[in-house]
Amino acid sequence: MQLTHVLELYPDHSVTQMLFKEVKNAAELRQKAVEGKIYAALINPTMLVNPLQVLVAANKAVHLQKIGKMKTRSLYSEIIFNLSPTNNISEAFKRFGISDGDDSVMVVLVHNKQESKLLSDITALVDGRQVQVEDVSSLSDPAKIKKLYKVTPQEEKSSTLLDAVVCRMATKDVM
Amino acid sequence: MSVRCICVVMQLAARGQCVKTAEEANRTEPEVNTAKDSSMALPEFLGKAELLKQGAEARVYRAQFLGKPTIVKERFKKQYRHPVLDEKLTHRRTVQEVRSILRCRRAGISAPVVYFVDYTSHCIFLEEITGSATVRDHITSAQQPDSCPDPQLERLAQRVGQILAKMHDEDVIHGDLTTSNMLLRLSPEDGESDLVLIDFGLSYISALPEDKGVDLYVLEKAFLSTHPNTEALFEKLLKSYAASSKKSSAVIKKLDEVRLRGRKRSMVG
Repeated sequence: MQLTHVLELYPDHSVTQMLFKEVKNAAELRQKAVEGKIYAALINPTMLVNPLQVLVAANKAVHLQKIGKMKTRSLYSEIIFNLSPTNNISEAFKRFGISDGDDSVMVVLVHNKQESKLLSDITALVDGRQVQVEDVSSLSDPAKIKKLYKVTPQEEKSSTLLDAVVCRMATKDVM
Repeated sequence: MSVRCICVVMQLAARGQCVKTAEEANRTEPEVNTAKDSSMALPEFLGKAELLKQGAEARVYRAQFLGKPTIVKERFKKQYRHPVLDEKLTHRRTVQEVRSILRCRRAGISAPVVYFVDYTSHCIFLEEITGSATVRDHITSAQQPDSCPDPQLERLAQRVGQILAKMHDEDVIHGDLTTSNMLLRLSPEDGESDLVLIDFGLSYISALPEDKGVDLYVLEKAFLSTHPNTEALFEKLLKSYAASSKKSSAVIKKLDEVRLRGRKRSMVG
């Protein structure tokens, strides 16, 4: 049910996404993540258009970690930061991280080839129903996404929302 | 030479250690020991990719990236330049290219999606425009004596004029306008083809009519030399440019000036 992708640039790193609905312990999960007890990024799925968006953020995070140029303290906070179109770290966490009242969460892990233990550990922590990762598009809030990424109406005519978002994420450090 | 060898041996030794403790390292402190093999990832990736073209400025590869068909443009090191200057120029051109692409896309001009930019090796990872043909090939095949759908070519020239007008109204100067740098993508839904601009490697931002005029002049030269007997077609393109752009009159005036003197005004360099 999860989606695992081996990073082409770093083949010993895989990114796994797991989507949960009807989550009841969002506050507890967020607290654990803040304390650094969860080795995963917990993302608010309403801000995601497609799993590709997470892959772009994760690939960039791993790359910046390798060259020692991360803007935040850990790989997982970097993934959340990379999703944001701005360079404001706390705003990125507020918009793209989970909040206490959320009832759905996208869990993102970066791991070596075989790490089923890591996955099952996380699954055990989340009190919710795991669904197909592709379902994330049914949870997303296009109006909010367009506003935050400042997608213009004329751009929407010639491009998909996903492409517009990915482009902004990939280029935000030089804008 | 020997110093380099030692370095490599040390790196290998360090990586060996890294492998042993990789699992622990990943869980406790993911940052440790990872910087060393960063320089290895990209050459290995590009080694497996398909080399499409090599120019004076960059190499272009085709590969799968994040599960998508991707074009990688690598600006390699130029041995003939001073390393500091080389780094500066290469970095600026990479940034410039990415910026112009986003600026065009924001204005509703189709350009490839940027998936990832590596500023250490100066690589840009772009969406591959699959199922497309260059405008150059399109015009060439439409110009064959046996096939003669001229009104279609005129429509195409008008589209190009409109899009360039839109681009110049956003103050993006492409810098290398040719019919090879325009792609026609057949959109699956309505069968209408979408015009995609590519290769913003020489592009920059400028509001000067002079720069826009030179941009059109470069296109005119390239257009008329690759496609003989298309003066009337190019005239159509310019007409549609003039009709769609708000600031076209100054640009067209400049174009006439540039035609008389060539594209270099300052006469240096």
